[in-house]
Amino acid sequence: MTELTSLPQFPWLSLLVVLPLAGALLCLMHRKRPADCRALSLATSLAVFGVALYLFICHGQGEGRWLLYEDVSWIERYGARYVLALDGIALLMVLLTSFMQVSAVLLAWRVERHVSSFFALLLLLEAGLMGIFLAYDLVLFYLFWEVALIPMFFLISVWGGANRRQAALKFFLYTLVGSFFMLIAIIALYQIHGAQSGVYSFVIGDLLQTQLTAAQEGWLFAGFMAAFIVKSPLVPFHTWLTDALTESPAAGSLDLTGLLLKTGIYGLIRVAFPLFPNATESFLPILAVFALVGLFHAAWSAYHQDDIKRLLAYSSISHLGLVVLGLAAWQLTAWEGSILLMVTHGITTGALFVLVALIQERTGTRSMKELGGLWGQTPCLGFLFLLFSLASLGLPGLANFAGEILVLLGTFQQHPFWAVIALLGVVFAAAYMLRLVQGVLWGPVYKERSLPDLTLREWIILLPMAILIVWMGVYPEPFLAPMHGTVASLLAGGLP
Amino acid sequence: MMIPFGHALAFAAALFVLGLTCVLLRRQVIMILVGVEIMLNAASLVFVAASAYWQQADGQVFVIILMAITAAEVAVALAMVVYLWRRKRSLVADVFNGMRG
Amino acid sequence: MNESLLFLIPLLPLCCAVINMVFGMRLPRLFAEVLAVTGVAGAFVLTLLFWGYAEGEGTRAVLFTWLNSGSVDISFALNFDRLAAPMTLMVTGVASLIHLYAVGYMHEEEDYARFFSLLNLFVFAMLAIILADNLLVLFLGWEGVGLCSYGLIGFWYRKLENAKAGVKAFLVTRVGDVFLAIALLWLFAITGTLSISEINAQATSISPSVVIAVSLLLLLGACGKSAQLPLMTWLADAMAGPTPVSALIHAATMVTAGVYLLCRLFPLVSLSPVAMTAITAIGALTAIYAATCALAQREIKRVLAYSTMSQVGYMFMAVGAGSVAGAMFHLLTHAFFKAVLFMAAGCVIHLAGEENDIFKMGGLTRRGPVELFWVFLAGAVCLAGLPLTGGFFSKDGILLALFTHPDPFYRVFWLIGVITALLTAFYTFRLVYLVFAGEYRGVGHPHALPLLMRWPLWPLAFIGLLGGLLNLPAFVGGSETLHHWYDNLAGRRVIASHEVEWMLILLAVAIAAVGWFAAHWRYRIYRAPQANALSRFLLNGWYADTIVDRLFVRPFAAMGRFCSSGCDRTLFDGTLNGLAKMATGWSSLIVQMTTGRLTTYLSAFAWGFLVLLGWFLLKLVSGGGH
Repeated sequence: MTELTSLPQFPWLSLLVVLPLAGALLCLMHRKRPADCRALSLATSLAVFGVALYLFICHGQGEGRWLLYEDVSWIERYGARYVLALDGIALLMVLLTSFMQVSAVLLAWRVERHVSSFFALLLLLEAGLMGIFLAYDLVLFYLFWEVALIPMFFLISVWGGANRRQAALKFFLYTLVGSFFMLIAIIALYQIHGAQSGVYSFVIGDLLQTQLTAAQEGWLFAGFMAAFIVKSPLVPFHTWLTDALTESPAAGSLDLTGLLLKTGIYGLIRVAFPLFPNATESFLPILAVFALVGLFHAAWSAYHQDDIKRLLAYSSISHLGLVVLGLAAWQLTAWEGSILLMVTHGITTGALFVLVALIQERTGTRSMKELGGLWGQTPCLGFLFLLFSLASLGLPGLANFAGEILVLLGTFQQHPFWAVIALLGVVFAAAYMLRLVQGVLWGPVYKERSLPDLTLREWIILLPMAILIVWMGVYPEPFLAPMHGTVASLLAGGLP
Repeated sequence: MMIPFGHALAFAAALFVLGLTCVLLRRQVIMILVGVEIMLNAASLVFVAASAYWQQADGQVFVIILMAITAAEVAVALAMVVYLWRRKRSLVADVFNGMRG
Repeated sequence: MNESLLFLIPLLPLCCAVINMVFGMRLPRLFAEVLAVTGVAGAFVLTLLFWGYAEGEGTRAVLFTWLNSGSVDISFALNFDRLAAPMTLMVTGVASLIHLYAVGYMHEEEDYARFFSLLNLFVFAMLAIILADNLLVLFLGWEGVGLCSYGLIGFWYRKLENAKAGVKAFLVTRVGDVFLAIALLWLFAITGTLSISEINAQATSISPSVVIAVSLLLLLGACGKSAQLPLMTWLADAMAGPTPVSALIHAATMVTAGVYLLCRLFPLVSLSPVAMTAITAIGALTAIYAATCALAQREIKRVLAYSTMSQVGYMFMAVGAGSVAGAMFHLLTHAFFKAVLFMAAGCVIHLAGEENDIFKMGGLTRRGPVELFWVFLAGAVCLAGLPLTGGFFSKDGILLALFTHPDPFYRVFWLIGVITALLTAFYTFRLVYLVFAGEYRGVGHPHALPLLMRWPLWPLAFIGLLGGLLNLPAFVGGSETLHHWYDNLAGRRVIASHEVEWMLILLAVAIAAVGWFAAHWRYRIYRAPQANALSRFLLNGWYADTIVDRLFVRPFAAMGRFCSSGCDRTLFDGTLNGLAKMATGWSSLIVQMTTGRLTTYLSAFAWGFLVLLGWFLLKLVSGGGH
C-alpha cells in the first residue's frame, strides 16, 4: 500500500494542501494591506498551480494504481492516519482545482470589503478542496470535506448577492445534514471493521477488506450516498445549488461550480463505490434514473430562467447529471468520459460564470429582459461568451463534446436505452444555451450605454480557458492518459 | 433525657417544608431569602440531632461551619438585593425576567 | 506527394477563418476579403491538384488521434475517394464564386470580418463532412455547418427575427442530429468502429432489423440538415440571412449534406428495402409539399427556399431508388443553377430597393443590367427542367430510376415526381414573370450593383446550363461520365429500354411546356393576388410552423415553467421551508419554558426534587422488598 515513488522524500501532496493554508494565514495577518493580500494570494495560487502542473507533467502517464502516496501516523489511538494519495483521477482534479483557483483569485481582484478575509477564505477553500481530492483516510476525508464547506458559507453570506444570508444558510445546512449521515456511516464502518479484523483503522485501503452483510452494506452505503447525492447534486436535492450559485460572489461561484460540485462525484468514485461494491451494483440503475431525471429537469428549468446566473446554475446540474450517468454505466469509456466531462465542465461553466460576473459589473443587471445586443457593444466579451456557450452545449471540436461523446459511446454499449434518453437531453442543452446567447448577445440593444470591452486582467483569466477548451476538444489525449490505469482497476475490482 | 431522634427529624422536616413553602409562595426577594434561611436552619437541626443521636461532635462542628457559610451567603445575597432595588426599584422576583426566551 | 497534404484542403479555409476572426477588423478590408476568397479558392485549386488521389480506391490520410479510450480509437482522418472528389470540387468551386459575390454584396457591411470568417468556417465544416473518414469527424462537420448556419442566418443580429431564425435552424437540425448520433452510437456498439469504409464493409453482417433501424435513424438525421419532412420548418425562415449565405448554405451545400450522408453509407442503407422505400417516400412527400408551398410564396427568396426543399426531395428519391449517381448528378447540377438563382435574386432585391415581395416587383429587365434577366432565366429553365439543360437531364435521370425500379410501388413515387415537376415549372415561371415582366409595381430605389455581384453569375449559369454533359445518358449519345466515374459506388445501374427512355423524355418536355404555358397564361399579365384560404394555407407552409409550435414549443416552455416554478420552487423548496418552519415552530413551543422568572425556576427545582425523591423512595422500597 505504501508504494513509494520516484520522489520518495519530498511531500508534494502535503505541499499542495499546506501552501494554500499558509497563504491564508499570511493573508489574515495582513489585514491592513489589501494590495499585499492580493499579491500574496496570487503568488500562492500560482505556486500551487505550478506544483500541480509539475506533478501532471511528471506523472501524466499513469502507470499502476498510485502515483504518489504519503502515509504518516496521526491519531494512533483511533487508527486515523494522515494518508494522502494521488492517482490519475486525483491528478486531474488537483490540476483543475489549482487552475480554477488562479482564475478565482484574479477574478476577485476588485473586491473592496474585507479584502484579506476574502482571500484567506478563498485559499482555505483551496486547501480544503485539495485535501478532499487527496485524502485516503476517512477521518481526514471528512475533515477536509467540512473544511471546504466553511469558507464557502462565509463567502456567500458576507460578499454575496441580495438574498445571500438565506442562500448561504440553506447551502450550509443542506450539505451539513448530508455529511452528518456520512459521519455516522464512517464511524459505523470503522466499528464493524475493527470488530471483525481486530485492527481499528480509518484508512480506506484497510477498510476495503471489510466483510459486510447485505443489510449493513446497504445502510452504510446510504449514509455515504446521502452526502454525495446532496453535493453532486442530484435532483431533487439540488435546490441549494441554484440559490447558492445565484447569490455567491463571482470567485465563489467559480469555485462552487467548478470544484465543490466535483467533490461529490469524486467521493462516489473514491469512497462509496470501492467500499461497497455489492450495494453499488444494485444501486446503479437507480443512480442512472436520478441522473437522467436531473438532466432533463435541470435543462427544462434552465430554459425557463431569466436570471442568467440561475440559468447557468441549472445548466451545471444538467451537465453533472450526464456525468453521473456515465458513472452509472460502469464502463471504461463512459467513466473516462465522465471524468473528462467533469474537468471540461469545470472550465466551461467556470468561464461562463466569469463572463456573467463581467456582464453584471458592466451593466448592473443579470436579467435577460434587460440585456441584449451585447455583441455590438463588447465584441470580444460577446465572442468569448458565444464560444463558451457553444462548448457548453456540446459542439464537437470543443471541450465538452469529447467527454459527452465518450460517455454516450460507453453507456450505449452497456445500457443503450439510457444513452438514447441522454442524447435527447442534448437538444435541450442547445435550447437553453441558445436562449441564453440570444437573450444576452443578440437582439436590439436594451439600453445604449458605453461598455468597456475586456481588460487585460479579464483576458488573462479567459484566454487560457479558451485555449484549453479548444485543446481539450481537439486533442484530449494528455488528459485522458493519466486515467486509463486507474479507471480500469477501479472498475475491475473496486480497488482504487 | 434524650429527645427521640425521630421527633427531631420530624421537626426538621416540617421546618424544611415550611421554608420551601415560603420560598415558593412568596413574591418578595427578601422573603425568598428568609425561606432559604429557614431551610438551611432545618438542615442544621438535622445535623445537631444526628450528632446527639450518635454522640459524635462532627455534626455540631458542621453546624458551626454552616452558620458561617450562611452568614457569608446572606451578606452577598443582601448586597445583590440592594443592587436589584437600585435597578428596578422593586423587589418582586417576577419583575426580573430579562433572561426570558 | 505525401497524402497528409490532403488535409490542406479543409485546413486552408479553417486557417483563413481563424485569422479573419482574430485579426480581421484590424487588417485592411481588402486584405480580409482576399484572404477569405483565397481560402476557398485555394482549396479548389488543391482539390484539382490532388485529383489523382481520388481515383481507384481513393486515399486515406490520418492526422492525429482524437479520442482514445478503451475500445474507442478515433482519429482525425479523411478519405478522398471517388464519391468525395466531385463533391469537394463543387463545394469549393461554388463557394469561391459565392465568396466573390459576397465581397460585392457585403461591401457596405461593417462587420465583415465576422461574416467572412463564418463563411470560411462553414466551408471547412462542409469539407469535413465530405472528406470525413469516420462518422465522428463527419459529425464534427455536421454540427459545424449547423453552427455556421446559425451564425450566418442570424448575422444581422440587431433584428431579433434574424436571431430567432438562426436559433430555429440550429434547434430543428439538432433534433435531426440526435437521431444521427443514436445511429452513430448504435453502429459503434455493433461494429466496434466508426470508420465509414469499415462500416460499409461490415454492413452485410449486421442483422436486418438493426440495419432498418439504423438506416431510418440516418434518414431522420439527414432530414434535419436537408430540410425534409418532418424537420423542414427552418429552411424558409433561414432566408433572413444575407443572400450569399442562402446561396451557399441553403442551396448548394448544407442542405445537400443529408443526401451526401446517405450516399456515403449507401452500402449499409441499401440493404434494407424498407429503409429505401422510406427514403423515397420522404423525398417524394417533401418534394410535392415544398412545390405546393412555393406556388403561393410572396418573397422571392422563400420561393427559392421551398424550391430547394423540393429539389433535395428529388435527390432523396434518387437515393431511395438506388441510384447514387443519379442523386449526385442532380445534386451537382442543382448546386449550380440554384446558386445562380439565389445570387441573381440578391441582385434583384438590390435593384428593387431591398424589396423582397415579388408582387411589388416587375419589369426589372429594364431597371437593371440586361444580363441579369438572362442569367436568372438560365437558372430558371434549369430548375423547370426545360430540355437540354443540366436540370433536365438530372431530373429525368431520377424519374427514370424511379420508373424502372423493380418494386412496382415506386411508380407512385414516380407519379409524385412528375406532378412535382409540373408544379416546379409552374412556380418557376411564375417567379420569372412576376419579377421581370410587365411594369415595375414597386416604390423602391434601385441600388447600384457592384461588378462582383454580376460577374460570378456567368460561370455558374453556363455550368448549370451545360451541366447535363456531366452524365449525359447513353441513348442521346452521351457517355455517362459521372456514372462511370463512380463505378461501384454508383448504386443501381438504371437499365431501361429505349422506348421507355424516350417516352419519359417526351413526358418531361411536355410537362415543362405545360407548366410554362400555365404560368404564362396566368402571370404574364399581372393580376393582383387574391388571398383565399388555400393560398394562405400554402403560404404558411401548410401551417407546419403552427403545428410545431403547438405540439412542441409551447409544451416545452410549459414544462420549463413546471420544472422550475412548480417543482423547484413550490415542491422542493417548499418542503425544505416547511421543514424549517416546523423546526422553528417546535422551538418556539419549547422556548416558552424559559420565562426568565425566578419563581418559575424555583418551582421547577421543587418539582424536580420531588420527582427525584419519589424515585429514590420507590427504589428503596422495591429494593428493600427483595
